[in-house]
Amino acid sequence: MPRNSDTSSLEKLLENPRVWRARSQPGPAEGLSSGYAQLDRMLPGGGWPRQALTEILVEQYGIGELQLLMPALASLCTEEPGAESVEPGWIAWVAPPFQPYPPALQKCGINLARMLIVRPRNASEVLWSAEQALSSGTCAAVLLWPHVLDDQASRRLQLAAEKGGSWAIAFRPLSARHEPSAAALRLELSASHRGKRLAILKSRGGSPAVLHDVV
Amino acid sequence: MTMRPARRPPVIARDNAPPPDTSAQHSQYALPLAKEERLWFCVYLPNLPLEACGPGDKDLAVIEEQQGVHRVLLASDHARAAGVLPGQSPNAALALLPTLTLEERSVIREQQVLELLATWLEQFSSFVCVAGPDVLLLEIAGSLRLFGGLKSLRRQVAKGLEAQGFGASLAIAPTPLAATWLARGRRRACIREPANVMAALRNLPLSCLDWPPTVLESLAGMGITDVGDCLRLPREGFARRFGVKRLLQLDRALGHLPDPRNSWRAPERFCADFEMTEEQSDRELLLTICHELLHAHEQFLLSRQLGTQRLLFTFFHLKAKATSLPLGGARADRAAGHWYELLRLRFEKLVLPEPVIAIRLRGGTTQALNGTSGRLAFDGRAPREHYYSMSQLAERLAARIGNESVHGVNAVADHRPQYAWSTRDLFAARAVDALARVRQGIERPLWLLPEPELLSTDNGYPLHQGKLRFVSGPERLETGWWDEHGIARDYYTAISPRGAGLWVFRNRDRHHGGEAAWYLHGIFG
Repeated sequence: MPRNSDTSSLEKLLENPRVWRARSQPGPAEGLSSGYAQLDRMLPGGGWPRQALTEILVEQYGIGELQLLMPALASLCTEEPGAESVEPGWIAWVAPPFQPYPPALQKCGINLARMLIVRPRNASEVLWSAEQALSSGTCAAVLLWPHVLDDQASRRLQLAAEKGGSWAIAFRPLSARHEPSAAALRLELSASHRGKRLAILKSRGGSPAVLHDVV
Repeated sequence: MTMRPARRPPVIARDNAPPPDTSAQHSQYALPLAKEERLWFCVYLPNLPLEACGPGDKDLAVIEEQQGVHRVLLASDHARAAGVLPGQSPNAALALLPTLTLEERSVIREQQVLELLATWLEQFSSFVCVAGPDVLLLEIAGSLRLFGGLKSLRRQVAKGLEAQGFGASLAIAPTPLAATWLARGRRRACIREPANVMAALRNLPLSCLDWPPTVLESLAGMGITDVGDCLRLPREGFARRFGVKRLLQLDRALGHLPDPRNSWRAPERFCADFEMTEEQSDRELLLTICHELLHAHEQFLLSRQLGTQRLLFTFFHLKAKATSLPLGGARADRAAGHWYELLRLRFEKLVLPEPVIAIRLRGGTTQALNGTSGRLAFDGRAPREHYYSMSQLAERLAARIGNESVHGVNAVADHRPQYAWSTRDLFAARAVDALARVRQGIERPLWLLPEPELLSTDNGYPLHQGKLRFVSGPERLETGWWDEHGIARDYYTAISPRGAGLWVFRNRDRHHGGEAAWYLHGIFG
């Protein structure tokens, strides 16, 4: 039996679309620089995953959970309009727990004219609004504070983010840590008297890590 | 008999008019018109009462009440062939042609048909004028080039009118009145030179002039039957006997006096009804009807390059009061699909007390909305579909969760933290407000509490999850006497035992239980 036929049958087999080879996985898309070199180094693509869902699990508000995003958000709303979106650069805040304070946002470099605040009345409206904002193609980033976010909902948000080319950031309590999620990136932010700890729980195309005092 | 020029302005506003000599020198009489020459195209519809009843019925006669008695006013060709003639009594007409349909004349319907025709004629000229109950005038001097000359334009208008079932008499002349009279006289006249107007009008019988019968009778009694005879009369005497108005009319027709006309404006607000044969409560069906109305609305606006920000649907019931459903958008739009989507969101929640018998759609005030060019998507990627602009997104969100729940923000130049910002209405048409200057060197939290939260204290020190550690402060913020919301506070940045950055203040004004009260106002997110 000539060797030739062996390799050709193997190649034929590999052509089958059902065969998935780990090597052929596309490299991570270029990320959106977070503005924190320490964090960028640990994220695949060198920054926040664009067009995907990021989950940030926070123990409590006030430990720098917004500060973590500010450099990236500021770069989004000053970015030149992309070729494929209509009117990019809007940042939607869906169901924020407090009032995002404009003077501080302005100081962080956020363009206030590009802020959209949505205050839905119930849990299902939060998800609906976020999905609408994500898939509209208008919002560069959508921040949401969902009451609940099950596996299915996170998948929908992930799909909407892909469709609209938008970055979704969901803030969730630490208790959500063991719930399954379709997010491309899951972070856990906690603080104690010793300092702040940022853990990468899940990172598509990357690996878990723990960082200290990023913000 | 020679005609003398008028001397007093009230009679004829004309200075230094040459003596109107009715012999051969018409060229002398023809004064220049306005600087820019105009050409008027008259469409006279002698059979409008009949044609307004709509096509289809062969044996049709329109009757009108004249001095208490009904008489046949006009009859269709077929009926006329059977012997039905204008002026007959309805009974006589019916005896001649038993299958005859008699219709009462409706002036309102005629007017509506005339306006529809005026709208249709707007494609030929930007200046269309409804000059009488059966006369339309177009100013065509500016349209000749576009439509390939006078003949071609005339042919296009005639063809279009015929296709719509109108038998019209057309005439073209440099003055509106001359064109009207020539059309009424059924002269297929086409006069381009102002100098030739006189010659064309001279032989026109006076019956074409739409003057009252009494005037015509007395003129006929004087042996005057056409326009030429009239012009030969002395001006003063003519004005005294038959009214200055008639003399002015003659002068206008000849182009000696300007004859300004009002351009007819097609309505810019849409209003359409859909009446059902029986009551309906099937919501899907009602939505389909609304969709059809929206399509008609889109066509209406499209032809005018307009858009609207507001629509009103009214659902009529037989017994209950009508239910109205207003729709509003952030941006003027006319696309039926866009409005339909908004309608569907709102219609879900609409309570209809009874089945619906009719639906009315009324468009709001309109604004110019020019078409947008499509984008070529040749860059290999599939074009992203269903993209909305921000205003469309805001509209969609607001339609479901309420207008007040969707807003933007603004920084306001005020030193008091709670007044240093405001919400921004995304639906307001105005551009982005001038933003307050960024103040460097002062620390402000990213989160602001809607109301300052009173903190418990321990020996005068504020507590939040335990004893607070102060990082910076105090920053003293005071007064606001101008609006009675003055403050007197010392703000500090503090860290809670669990690591949260807090913005707290001590109220220097009001004391709480003998001690200065501490409040939490913001969180350094």
